[in-house]
Amino acid sequence: MLNTLNKKLALLLAILAACYLLFSFRLPDYPYVPVDSDAVPITLGFILLLLSIFLYFSKDESKKEERRLPKGETQVILSVLGFVILYVFFFEIIGFVLTTALFIFFNSLFLGFKKWLPNVIVSLALPLSIYFLFDSFLQISLPSGILPF
Amino acid sequence: MDIFDGIITGFQVALSFQGLLIVFIGAVTGTLIGMIPGLGPITAIAVMIPITYGMDPAMALLLMAGVYYGAAYGGAASSILLNAPGESMSVPTTFDGYPMAKQGKAGKALAISAIASFVGGTISVILLTLFAPVLASVAVSFGPAEYFALMLFGLLAVSSFADGSTVKALISATIGFMIATVGIDGQTGTTRYTFGNANLLEGVDFLVIALGLFALAEVSSLIFERKEKSVFGKKLGSLQLSKNEVKEMAGPTGRQSLIGFLIGILPGAGGTIASFLAYISEKKLSKKPEEFGKGSIAGLAAPEAANNSASSGSFVPLLSLGIPGSGTTAVMLGALIVLGVQPGPLLMTEHPDIFWGVIASMYIGNVILLVLNLPLIPYISKILKVPRPLLISLVIVFCIIGVFGVSYNTFDLYLLVLFGIVGFFMARFKFPAAPMLLAFILGGMMEQSLRQSLTISNGSLFIFVEKPIALTLIVIAFLSFIVPILRNRNRKKIDEDSVDQKYNSM
Repeated sequence: MLNTLNKKLALLLAILAACYLLFSFRLPDYPYVPVDSDAVPITLGFILLLLSIFLYFSKDESKKEERRLPKGETQVILSVLGFVILYVFFFEIIGFVLTTALFIFFNSLFLGFKKWLPNVIVSLALPLSIYFLFDSFLQISLPSGILPF
Repeated sequence: MDIFDGIITGFQVALSFQGLLIVFIGAVTGTLIGMIPGLGPITAIAVMIPITYGMDPAMALLLMAGVYYGAAYGGAASSILLNAPGESMSVPTTFDGYPMAKQGKAGKALAISAIASFVGGTISVILLTLFAPVLASVAVSFGPAEYFALMLFGLLAVSSFADGSTVKALISATIGFMIATVGIDGQTGTTRYTFGNANLLEGVDFLVIALGLFALAEVSSLIFERKEKSVFGKKLGSLQLSKNEVKEMAGPTGRQSLIGFLIGILPGAGGTIASFLAYISEKKLSKKPEEFGKGSIAGLAAPEAANNSASSGSFVPLLSLGIPGSGTTAVMLGALIVLGVQPGPLLMTEHPDIFWGVIASMYIGNVILLVLNLPLIPYISKILKVPRPLLISLVIVFCIIGVFGVSYNTFDLYLLVLFGIVGFFMARFKFPAAPMLLAFILGGMMEQSLRQSLTISNGSLFIFVEKPIALTLIVIAFLSFIVPILRNRNRKKIDEDSVDQKYNSM
């Protein structure tokens, strides 16, 4: 039943549509308007449901081999994703300058940038210059974190 | 205020020292970003939005215009130098641009593309100057029913013209619309789909979607290609064109500028269709079709003129109706709203300085790009030598700064990462992202105008049938996506043609 990619995706989308519809039906009523806040969501939910049925019956246009990631690349992507999540997590706690410097340095190193000196220079110079540029010219204060300035 | 007075007001804003400096900075930055393979105008504009925060709106718009033109030009440069188009509309540029670069005529190719873009851009801005006010004065009489029909038309047209499956494009648009329903409903105050999270009360910020779906998702393709050594190291060669070469590009450039503008006005069509059509039609018209694909001057000039012209053409519905017809103009609309400017038929009368400032800045942006960017190209193209791993890290950092600079909220950064993941899977499973972005931006407005019209009609859907303009638009809207489906039945034939096309252009 779920032998093609489109069928799997269609099922996933149908579940999404069903969840969305469920929450739409549970939206509270507001009696004083001709069209309540649930009208558009309910319509959208049914449209998505209908479209997922169409998708279920349509043919895959790409071959399975084409979609497969190159060997080992899944790990690389997941690692970068991990770095980004760590970066975001420590962004406000440790501060913009330090987290950004660490992120640029280690992410570039991990992806194969082997020249130490340029990497260190960029990792330090870029966050510092952005920090002061944003602070003084654009009035956007990035989180200073544990640094005193 | 007539058009002449208006454009003078606009030039007074744009031609100040500060104005020129800002357009220049924008053009250079846009070129830098656009040149990075995979990053196009959408990313370039989205990344620049936080920088315009706190700037005078007129100046901020000058910056945006510069970035927008710069990114398109940078995309052409990476197509010519690396055979790596940043987005689909610059694909035809590679057909003849890259062969020219391989023959050691990269400088010439860059000059041709710059001049063709300049001519296309300028002709189309002149037409925009004439058209937009007319359309705006018609649109003043539009009620919510007409607006709803118009936006529906735009959305369905973009979905049906998207690459690949129409069903997938429609799914993408529906989900974009669903994301737009998150937050407090403006009419009743009901909170929808916030799951008790206070950060979602105001809905999802559009920058989160734009940067996540486009920039962050594109990082993954940069990651796959990180080991590719940048092949660009050859000399650019002279930028000078001979008289004959100028003569050869004049015809295609002029014709395709006009056609490109008309295609650009249509919602959904835009740069990609304009540039492919330009390439194919010039090949048919050419006296030397055998040169196409081997470095033909006409083959390079035509798509460049057309896509630039179409890009400015797509500003007609944006400025006069407040409705974006493409992914790029959708980001532009988002940028304008962040600046507190709501485009639409009233913009021209209520904020003439901004309306005409945008148009004047497009003239200036074009000139600056030609006069200043062309000599700077050898230096700007150095960005292609930045090691890929470092480039990837920097793009991610700029996405994070972009979102944080607007929202000051770590929650939005997690959402950004989430949409990056969604964008990654959408790209792998061939769901186009532009309809989602457009539906997200139009969604709020569409729901509002739908409910306003139904309030007027007391809940009856017949209001869309009774109003002739609305009815016409809705009929065209449905035709615009039924026709491609019917066309798909003949797809086999089209596929054969396009394969043929590919071989001819090799």
